[in-house]
Amino acid sequence: MALDGYSENLRRSVAGAILKPRNPIPLEEVTERILAALANPPVVDRRIAEQSAPGRAALAILGQSRQPIWKVGHLLTMLAALGSTEGFAPIQSLLDAGLLFPVRGFESSPLAGFQLWFGQEPRLNAEVFTLPGIAERAKGDPLGLPNLAISDGPPKSIVPRLADALEWPLRLAAVGQLVADGAMRTTQTRALFKRDLQRLQTHELLAAAPADHIVVLPDIGVLTLFWALGTEQLAVVDGELTLPKVARGPANRPLADELVTLLAALSTLEAWDPLLGYRVIENQLSALPSSAILLLLLLAAAPAGDWCQAAQLAAWLWEHHPAWQNGLTAEAQQQRGTPWVESLLLGVFYPLGIVEVIEREGRLIRLSPFGRSLFAGGAKVPDTPAFLQTLMVQPNAEIIAYRQGLTPTLIARLSRFARWRSLGPACTLELTAEQTYRGLESGLTLAGMVQTLNQHGVRPVHAAVMDLLQRWADKRERITVYSSATLVEFLSPADLDVAISRGMIAVRITDRIGLCADGADPDYKNLRLIGNRDYEAKPTKCIAVDDDGVTLNLDPGQTDLLLEAEIGRLAEPIPSDGNSVRRFRLTPESLRRAAQSGFKLDDLDVWFAARTGAVLPAAGRMFLLGPTAPSSLATKRLVLQVPNPEIADGLMQWPTTKDCIEDRLGPTAFAIEESKLPALREILESLAVKVEFA
Amino acid sequence: MSQAIAARMAVKLHRRVCLVMTEDAVLAEELLARKKLAGEVLGRLSERALLIRPGRIEAVLDELIKMGHTPQVIGK
Repeated sequence: MALDGYSENLRRSVAGAILKPRNPIPLEEVTERILAALANPPVVDRRIAEQSAPGRAALAILGQSRQPIWKVGHLLTMLAALGSTEGFAPIQSLLDAGLLFPVRGFESSPLAGFQLWFGQEPRLNAEVFTLPGIAERAKGDPLGLPNLAISDGPPKSIVPRLADALEWPLRLAAVGQLVADGAMRTTQTRALFKRDLQRLQTHELLAAAPADHIVVLPDIGVLTLFWALGTEQLAVVDGELTLPKVARGPANRPLADELVTLLAALSTLEAWDPLLGYRVIENQLSALPSSAILLLLLLAAAPAGDWCQAAQLAAWLWEHHPAWQNGLTAEAQQQRGTPWVESLLLGVFYPLGIVEVIEREGRLIRLSPFGRSLFAGGAKVPDTPAFLQTLMVQPNAEIIAYRQGLTPTLIARLSRFARWRSLGPACTLELTAEQTYRGLESGLTLAGMVQTLNQHGVRPVHAAVMDLLQRWADKRERITVYSSATLVEFLSPADLDVAISRGMIAVRITDRIGLCADGADPDYKNLRLIGNRDYEAKPTKCIAVDDDGVTLNLDPGQTDLLLEAEIGRLAEPIPSDGNSVRRFRLTPESLRRAAQSGFKLDDLDVWFAARTGAVLPAAGRMFLLGPTAPSSLATKRLVLQVPNPEIADGLMQWPTTKDCIEDRLGPTAFAIEESKLPALREILESLAVKVEFA
Repeated sequence: MSQAIAARMAVKLHRRVCLVMTEDAVLAEELLARKKLAGEVLGRLSERALLIRPGRIEAVLDELIKMGHTPQVIGK
């Protein structure tokens, strides 16, 4: 896809770098050959080896972070921290070699060169990505990070403190429920609305510190929100953070995969800081993503079993990270950033189960076995067998979930139909009407919910809870909303009866109209289509108005349900005379009723224009406007009728005759004041215009 | 072939219709008595079926939920 956006020359150039062909490659084969080469590990290894040390380091970071997409600014920052002084050159070289690709929108113009692209994008916020195969091959490349482990570690008999790694998956589930209550709105500068920020800061579950915590994080709810966004458990729709329409990933994910997804999303956490909490960063880079990965890689550089101190890790960042110091608070700067590092490692990574801690003469930190399996080539940690029976459903519809039996799959499933109330060693959830409804709307069934509770419960679901769930589920059956249904209209009630008896139609709406159970199109095998109307399209013209201006003739092939619903409010049906055409008549009463129900003349004009092709007929306008018009006047008047319009126009224009005319009644007729008739007659005779008196 | 076509029932399709079906007529009356909902209803096709203005289904759903109903939504 990215290659499709390259110009022909650029694509050939990248192909040349990857394939090193002896003969020219036909253009139509270039993309295919590049992708084939990038799927070939020996070729990828050779091309990676040809890169400079900073280039290889950039790919290694992409691999270690488990995140294939990074902002160029963050990559350059990390390379600078690792000692690179070459600026954009390593990234340019990787792009040229087809080992990195620019993230671009759907621009119409082909990309002619990477320097040009980098110049056009907001530079450091421009993003690049690599393919999983390349990242995997480059992951093991040494980064030259120092061993910061302390030499005199604690005795091995001391058991380190290690979290169960469920805290963040649980919090993400809770933030999903909060967002389901109401989307989080953002301003144009991508800042959270104040009210939504307060929702996060005062949420009893999300604002509270984890049960197993070493440090307290600021704005932990905001961190959870943006982490959920980074892992695509939330999506941005029209400036609002909301639940995605399609749920992310497969439902059955091992905990390790869930944690890797969270780690990969570290690169997206720009709006939160371990010491300052929530902060809006507009078109700038946060030091968090780059520092977080560097800290994990520094811990990985320590030998297995050895411990590090936050102060030493902070000292390395202090000396090497080009932007980290500036973002620190004055107090943190006095301690060379140690509080920042402690807050991140102990507040974010400890609950994630990536690091383990010993509190002895200060805190000592190292990667956990799971952390080493990810970053230091350690042995894969086998999944801990979960206790199957971990839920206790109480008669008051509260669920106690013992943490050791929870898995990401169970957390996700429970989150769909039960509300998280507390997260501790034993978490509590509540079955509510609203959450049960959400569960059913998300595609769960009542039987499925009960099965989950029974399967993981220490005892069967209590009868009172079953009764509650059944009632809530039944309540949902009372109203069915079809958002986009296809109604099938038959010519006769008998036809509909036959269709229902054959199972073609599931729901009877009227005596002639029905619909399938899911509101979808019917099976056309036994049907012959005589009309087709789309209700999101403009209304069609389907009425012919007779010359009398009040009789409306409906075209049976073009009429629709909207018309059926509307026309009865404007006109009276005319009893059928055996003719198949249905007819209605506008009457003073029918239009008065329409006016009383809110129809104005403009509304009627729009409706008639859409349905008949012309505005409300004159007779209808009279019915509508007559009652509100001033009184009409009936008088006897003296009328002068001239032989043709030319004379009439002349009389109206010439000031001498104009003064004698009271009113022009038509093209050749005038009303004349009786007192002025002699004067007018005299003038006309002087013009040799004859006047006769009837 | 022509006999088979003739044997098929003639129908007219009304596509992409927004519709609310209630359990009974009384519930439909209750919905119509709600001013905000009534404004979104174009007509009553039957005792239990209310035809909704095109594109207004979200507003109808919001109002139903405000009323304390938990409607089953088909075709989201």
